[in-house]
Amino acid sequence: MRKFVPPLLVTAISIATSGCFEVEQQDAKVIINKNPYPSTYQPLPQQKTLITNATLLTGTGERIDEADVLFVDGKITQVGKALVADDATKIDAQGKWVTPGIIDVHSHLGVYPSPSVESHADGNEMTNPVTAQVWAEHSVWPQDPGFQAARAGGITTLQILPGSGNLIGGRGVTLRNVPSESVQGMKFPDAPYGMKMACGENPKRVYGGRKVAPSTRMGNMAGYREAWIKASEYKREWEKYNAEYEAGKNPTPPKRDLALDTLSGVIDGEILVHNHCYKAEEMTQMIDLGKEFNYHSGTFHHAIEAYKIADLLADNGNCAAMWPDWWGFKMEAYDMVQENVAIVNAVKNSCAVVHSDSDTTIQRLNQEASKVLFRGQESGFDIKEEDAIRWITANAAKSLGLSDKTGSLEAGKNADVVIWNGNPFSVYAKAEQVFVDGAKVYDRFDEKYQAKSDFLLGQK
Amino acid sequence: MKLFKSSLLAMALTSITSVAHAQSVAISNATIYTSTSQGVLTNATLVVDNGKITSINPATVSADITIDAQGKVLTPGFIGTMNTLGLVEVSAVAGSRDASEKKADMTFDPSMAFNPLSTAIAYARKGGITTNVVVPQGGESIFKGQAFVVNLTGNMDSVIGNQTALLVSLGAKKEGSRAFDLQELFNKFDDAQQALNKAKTKADKNKEDSDKEPKRDEKIINAVLAGTMPLLAEADRASDLLALIKLKQKFGLDVIIAGGADAVLVAKELSEAKIPVLIDAMRNLPGSFDSLHTSLESAAMLTKAGVKVVLSAGGAHNLYQLRFDAGNAVSNGLSKEQAINAVTKNVADVFNLASGSIAVGKNADLVLWSGDPFEFSSKVEKMWIDGEEQSTQSRHDKLRDRYMTKSTMPKAYTK
Repeated sequence: MRKFVPPLLVTAISIATSGCFEVEQQDAKVIINKNPYPSTYQPLPQQKTLITNATLLTGTGERIDEADVLFVDGKITQVGKALVADDATKIDAQGKWVTPGIIDVHSHLGVYPSPSVESHADGNEMTNPVTAQVWAEHSVWPQDPGFQAARAGGITTLQILPGSGNLIGGRGVTLRNVPSESVQGMKFPDAPYGMKMACGENPKRVYGGRKVAPSTRMGNMAGYREAWIKASEYKREWEKYNAEYEAGKNPTPPKRDLALDTLSGVIDGEILVHNHCYKAEEMTQMIDLGKEFNYHSGTFHHAIEAYKIADLLADNGNCAAMWPDWWGFKMEAYDMVQENVAIVNAVKNSCAVVHSDSDTTIQRLNQEASKVLFRGQESGFDIKEEDAIRWITANAAKSLGLSDKTGSLEAGKNADVVIWNGNPFSVYAKAEQVFVDGAKVYDRFDEKYQAKSDFLLGQK
Repeated sequence: MKLFKSSLLAMALTSITSVAHAQSVAISNATIYTSTSQGVLTNATLVVDNGKITSINPATVSADITIDAQGKVLTPGFIGTMNTLGLVEVSAVAGSRDASEKKADMTFDPSMAFNPLSTAIAYARKGGITTNVVVPQGGESIFKGQAFVVNLTGNMDSVIGNQTALLVSLGAKKEGSRAFDLQELFNKFDDAQQALNKAKTKADKNKEDSDKEPKRDEKIINAVLAGTMPLLAEADRASDLLALIKLKQKFGLDVIIAGGADAVLVAKELSEAKIPVLIDAMRNLPGSFDSLHTSLESAAMLTKAGVKVVLSAGGAHNLYQLRFDAGNAVSNGLSKEQAINAVTKNVADVFNLASGSIAVGKNADLVLWSGDPFEFSSKVEKMWIDGEEQSTQSRHDKLRDRYMTKSTMPKAYTK
């Protein structure tokens, strides 16, 4: 028998679960808002567009010569030859190449912007080795001129990550590369969150230097494990709370913990792990760590030694995001090989990604992929342009959990498209027009489509 | 002639085996980018003997070995600048770093620390780099020390020149005012000039040379004052560049600017003052308030204004990318020949090197490319330093081969 009318929110649940049993008086159910800073992104003005006679690299592993792409209301509707759409804006792309919008899975634009002044160094909350409670989106400066420079290089989607000073650095955010006054105005709608972790030298150097844990790699591992133990307990407490509430009881909700919200989100599979991790033995341990705590170890970033464990990465479903040639800046970056990406890519069911981690090379991820393509070919790998484009489009989309939305030229996908003046794997190639959700956001020959940061406006 | 101890190197040297210096080499049917007023020569033949280029398109070719270039591009070896190659093996490993020293001042000459066995050297050869101007990172002083020149043979005698230039670092500071540094710089030369004048007056009066030996730092400043050692000045902001023009004019120095992010704003003045500029072709973001005007077109704009431009990139490890930087400079306005000059002849002009162009009498530092030297799709087919063929194999290739070799035993057994 109910003595009080329960609050509106839970009425339905209470009635449904109470049946004819006597239930306690229930307080309002505590439900954590998982999206408190929702995307307000709106595509720029869209046009029905037909690009004709281009060499297409679809991102699905195909190259189609003299082919067309049609997009309508922000979606790709047709890819093929001799398409007809009378009322569409037509772009004759004879001699040009067309690819999906380029995706960078690892950027610090906005959190370490240009100019690199102390006032804007907001990418690394190095006050505790585990800061899963911080969200990169709360640091992004949307006026970073680097966003425009990246757009001129065909970048349509990018993940902004916290830095690698901490074992667990916080949440990343995936953005549409469009100008906006707010970060919310750039957030990729319905993109899963990422969570940054870091192996190896950085965290142990940052904290070891202060004589606090971790100061060793074993200290690193202990730090992650302690965090995941807490997260597992936190998750159980919430599950218990939810179950008891469902059963008509009036349990006390667990004390909210921002860091553990994020970590338990990873265990729930809602938040994807992005792990700065260079070395073979560390990636191998991080894979086991994921198994120990029932989450997937995600994408390994800067995976310099991925080539040593390429089979394991493919078997376990890990993407590896790599540079083509960075090396030597740290001991963990000493064993670089120029064929790293090609070796990872050659394994069945692999997910090789080329990333930038740089405000400079993000402007030319096509060139970064090109280095791998040709060094790989020289070493006997059977790879072509239509394969290499996947490292900066479809595979990157997979790493970010966006495969259903972007990363390829296929009917139904978001119309994220780049028109290049020629083969994008040439050093002389340039993006001429860039589209995000079917809206032109950049045109090399039309100043109307060249955005400029507030910061640069009026500087003499 | 050095004998190669490494079997890998020996294997790679298929055309020249054991007596390179004694043997003359002719490269025929090449497309030669001379980096001289001769421009590009097609179907050309070049003869190398005793480490030097001895003839171009001779009436009759006589050489111990002839290589048919099959029309491929032959360029002077590319020349790196403004990096710490051979001074740093792993940047974050203190024991492998010799580019900086807290107490370093203008007397700091890091050439003695150069390690010809650094793995970064063979790697840099993959980019067709044959010569490099290494710079110190110095310490607290605005004077960072002295640049020196190396070849990329990896041989123990790689250092081919030291005291090449005095490096000074100017502009934005973490603390304090840039004006203080500029004053220090001007005062240094002013004081030295006055001391020299005084010594001269005294000597004239006594009709004999002053027996007072200048101190080590005074000797360096005097060499810069005499124009025998260039002043290599790192600066970005236009106002700093104008101050350097003044410095040059006041004391008659040989000034080279490195960085030069906002040089485009004073391109005419730099051109008139005949000050060359070393820039990073890929630097196009406003990284600081000193560099709000740098762009991918900077190299082309400066060249157009008549400034001698050198393309350079820092670090110790990825010098091999210089050719791609040059390619990007071409897609942003430089001509191909200008871009090749910017990594060969211009560097040699600025630092007085005996390489950097394909002309009789020059060092035989040459690269034969499989295609366009600036393209990702091309690679170094053959390269020579002082007429000796070089391998482009590095430790990285050994690692790759190990992990691409199938074996039932652990990889550690694959060598």
